[in-house]
Amino acid sequence: MAFKRDKKEEEEGTGNPFQNLDKTAVLQEARTFNDTPVNPKKCTHILTKILYLINQGEQLGTQEATDAFFAMTKLFQSKDVILRRMVYLGIKELSNIAEDVIIVTSSLTKDMTGKEDLYRAAAIRALCSITDTTMIQAIERYMKQAIVDRNAAVSSAAVVSIFHMTKHSPDLVKRWVNEVQEALNSENVMVQYHALGLLYHIRKSDQLAVTKLVAKLTKMNMKSPYAVCMLIRIVCKLIEDQNSASAGDTSPPWSSSPLFEFLESCLRHKSETVVYEAAHAIVNLRRTSARELAPAVSVLQLFCSSPKPVLRFAAVRTLNKVAISHPSAVIACNLDLENMISDSNRSIATLAITTLLKTGSESSVDRLMKQIATFVSEISDEFKIVVVEAIRSLCLKFPRKHAVLMNFLSAMLRDEGGLEYKASIADTIITIIEENPEAKETGLAHLCEFIEDCEHTSLAVRILHLLGKEGPRAKQPSKYIRFIYNRVILENATVRAAAVTAMAQFGALCPQLLDNVQVLLARCQMDSDDEVRDRATYYHSILASQNKQLVQEYIIEPLTVSIPSLERALHTYNVHPSPTPFDMSSIPLATVVTSDVTEMADRLSGRTPNSIGTGTIETSPAVTRVESYYEKLSAALPEIASLPGALFKSSTPVMLTESETEYVVRCIKHSFPNHLILQLESDQYIERSAAGKCYRSIRDPRRLRATQGDPHSKVGLQ
Amino acid sequence: MFVLLNRILDWFKSLFWKEEMELTLVGLQCSGKTTFVNVIASGQFSQDMIPTVGFNMRKITKGNVTIKVWDIGGQPRFRSMWERYCRGVNAIVYMVDAADTDKLEASRNELHVLIEKPQLIGIPILVLGNKRDLPNALDEKDLIDRMNLCAIQDREICCYSISCKERDNIDITLQWLIAHSKSNAR
Repeated sequence: MAFKRDKKEEEEGTGNPFQNLDKTAVLQEARTFNDTPVNPKKCTHILTKILYLINQGEQLGTQEATDAFFAMTKLFQSKDVILRRMVYLGIKELSNIAEDVIIVTSSLTKDMTGKEDLYRAAAIRALCSITDTTMIQAIERYMKQAIVDRNAAVSSAAVVSIFHMTKHSPDLVKRWVNEVQEALNSENVMVQYHALGLLYHIRKSDQLAVTKLVAKLTKMNMKSPYAVCMLIRIVCKLIEDQNSASAGDTSPPWSSSPLFEFLESCLRHKSETVVYEAAHAIVNLRRTSARELAPAVSVLQLFCSSPKPVLRFAAVRTLNKVAISHPSAVIACNLDLENMISDSNRSIATLAITTLLKTGSESSVDRLMKQIATFVSEISDEFKIVVVEAIRSLCLKFPRKHAVLMNFLSAMLRDEGGLEYKASIADTIITIIEENPEAKETGLAHLCEFIEDCEHTSLAVRILHLLGKEGPRAKQPSKYIRFIYNRVILENATVRAAAVTAMAQFGALCPQLLDNVQVLLARCQMDSDDEVRDRATYYHSILASQNKQLVQEYIIEPLTVSIPSLERALHTYNVHPSPTPFDMSSIPLATVVTSDVTEMADRLSGRTPNSIGTGTIETSPAVTRVESYYEKLSAALPEIASLPGALFKSSTPVMLTESETEYVVRCIKHSFPNHLILQLESDQYIERSAAGKCYRSIRDPRRLRATQGDPHSKVGLQ
Repeated sequence: MFVLLNRILDWFKSLFWKEEMELTLVGLQCSGKTTFVNVIASGQFSQDMIPTVGFNMRKITKGNVTIKVWDIGGQPRFRSMWERYCRGVNAIVYMVDAADTDKLEASRNELHVLIEKPQLIGIPILVLGNKRDLPNALDEKDLIDRMNLCAIQDREICCYSISCKERDNIDITLQWLIAHSKSNAR
C-alpha cells in the first residue's frame, strides 16, 4: 500500500502544477483580491498563477490587465510580507500593460521609506517601473535619499532602477549624478559596481567626461572587484578609441600610458576575477607587442594549471579566441594545453584541442582530430561550433589536409544538431569549396548527401543555390540533377522553388542536359504551389526560346540591384502610381561584398568588437545602410529627389572631425551623373554649446559646377 | 455594580465581536483628506502635506471597531479611479474645502458624477466641510445648499462642518462612522 502511494506521489510530483492554467479562469479568481479580510495564502497563490501566465507569454488585454491591477492594489491592506512582495512583482509585470498604474505611487513611496527593510528595495524597483517621464518629479526626493541609503540593497535597487529608467528618459536621470557619485564610494561591493555602471552609462557619449572619470578612478583604490572589472572594460574601450583615432602611428602610443599601466597593475590584484579580466583585456587589445602581452599570457598560463575548473576554462577559452591573432602567445602555453586535452571537463578539453589545432603544425592535425572524434558526440552544440570553426581555419592553413577534415565534417553533418551548428558546418564546407578547387567535388557530394535529410529549410535553400551555381561547372553535372530533383518530390514548397531555380541553371549552362531539364521543369509545372509553378513555367519558356541573350540575362545572371532599395522604390510606386512604367534603372546597384582580408582574419580569430557591460555588440554598418542614407535624404528634401539621373554610388561616411571632440561631423558623398551631393551630419554631445547656426562654406579649387550646398546639414543637427 | 458588569461584558464583546469597517475617502485635491486620516488615527495635525499620488491605505482602531480607510488622491488624473475603490465599502466620506468657494462647483459635480455610478447604489455618504476655522468658511446649511445635497434621495446622507486643525467636530464624525460599521448598518 505504502509503495503504491509513493508511486502516485511521484507521478504527481513530476507534473507542473501550473500546466493547465486558463487565463480567464485565473483572472476570474483574481477577484478574490477584493474580499475582506484578505486571505494571504490564497492571494499569493493566485498572484503566482498570474505571474506564471504572463511569463509563459500569455497576452493580457488592457482592460483585463487594468482590472487585475486594481484588484491587486487592494492587497496593500494586508501586512503579510510574502504577499506584499508578490504584489511588487505583479506591479512590475503589469506596469506596461495596465492603465493608470501610477495609482500605487503613494503606497510604494511609503513602503520604500518605511521601517520594513524587506519591502524597501523591492518597492523601489516596482516604483521605478510605474514611473514615466512626467512623474519623475514626484519621486525625485525619495530616489535621492534611496541612492545614498545606508542599506546596500536599497541603494543598489535605486541605482539599478535608475539605470533602467535611462531608457525612456535619458536626460532626467542626470539630476541624480551627485548622489550616484556618492554611492560610488560605498563600502558595499555591489553598490560600488552598480554606481560605476550607471555613472559610465550617463557619460559614455561624452569622451572627455569618461577620460576624467577613468583618471580619477584608476588612482582611487576601489574595493569592489566587480567595479574594477567594469573599470578595466571602460579603460579598454578608451584605449581602443584612442588607438583608432591615431591609427597612422606605428608605435602603440599607449604602451606606457597610465591607462595601460593600470591594466598591468590589475594583473597583480588579489581577486582572481580582476586578474582574469585584466589578462583577457590585454590579450584582446589590438596592436599589442610581445612585451606587453607577456605578463598577461603568463597569468593565463598559471590559470591553465589551476585546480579550479572555472579558471582553467576561462584561461583556455581566452587563449582559444586569440589563437590566430597572437599565435606566439598561445604557443608559449602549448605544454599546458596538451595536459588539458585529457581534462575530465569536456568543454575545457574541446577548447584546448581546438586551440592547439589553430596553432599546431600540419603533422599534429591527424593526432588531434582523432582525439576530438572520441568525444565529439558528448559535447554541446556550442562547443561543436567551436570545433567547426577550428577546422575551418585549419583547412585554410593546410589545404592538403582537406580530405581528412572534410570526412570529419561530413560525419558531424550526419549527427543530430541545431540549425546554428549545421549552418556553421555547411558554411565551413562552402568556404573550403571556394578556397580550394581540389576539394570542390567531394564537398559538393557531402552537401548533396546532407540535403537528402535536412530539416532546416533555410539551409537547404542555400545549398540548392550553391549547387545551381557550382554544379553545372563540375565534371559530371548530371549527377547533381538527381539530388536536386529528389528535393522537388520530397520537400516543402520553399525548398521545391529553390530546387526549380537550381535546375534551370543546369539547363542554361549545360546544353547536353537541356532536354532532360526541360522534361523535369515541365513536370514541375503541375506542382501544387503557386511559386513553384510560376518559377517552372518562367524557366521552361525562357529555356525553350533558345535565345542566348534571354538565358544569360534572366537565368544565369541574377538581379544586381540593391534589394532593399528596390523594395522601397516599388513600395513608393505602389503608393503613388504614375502613368509611366516602373523604371528599373533608377535603382542603385548593389555593392558587391568583397571579402576583406582583415575582416576574414578577424572572423577566424573569433574576435568580436569590445563591448562594455550589457551593451550589444556593434556590427560594422551594412552595405544597404549607405544606400538608405540617400533614400532618407531624398524623402526629406524634395529638391534632391527631383535631380535628374540615377544615383551612381554613395560613399561610406567620412569623419571630418576628431572623434573625441564635443561635436562630430560626418560627410557622405552621393555621386550622380551631373551632380555631387555632400551630406553633412553632425552630432552634438554637449547640450549647452550653440547649435543654433551652422555655416557652410564649400570651397572647390577645381571650380566644379557643383555644390548645390546641402541644406540637410541643418536637419542633421540634434 | 451593574455598571461594572456591563463594562466587563462590553470588553468581552469587543474580544469576540471585533467589528470591521471599510470606508473610502475622496474629494478634490487639497481639501484635507490625508490630514483627516492622520488626525483620526494619531491626533496629529501637520500644516504642510504633499499631494497624495495614488492612494494611501490606513487601518485605524477605535474601541472595538477597526476602520480601513482608502485615502485616494484628489488630483484630476485620479478622479476616474475613485469609483474602483468605492465599490462595496460601508461608507464614502466626501471631503470638501468649505473655505475655497471657487472650487465648490467642481466639487459638487464630481460628487454627483460619483454617486450616479450604478455600482455604488445605496452606499451611505458623509460630506465633510473641512477648514471651518478659516474666516470665510461655509457652515453646514450653506454647504448642503451649494452642494445640492437635497437632490440625493436614494441613500443615507449626512453633512458635518469640521476642522482638522482645531479638532472641531471630529468626535461626532467618528461616531457617525462607527455607527455605520458592518453590524450597525442595515
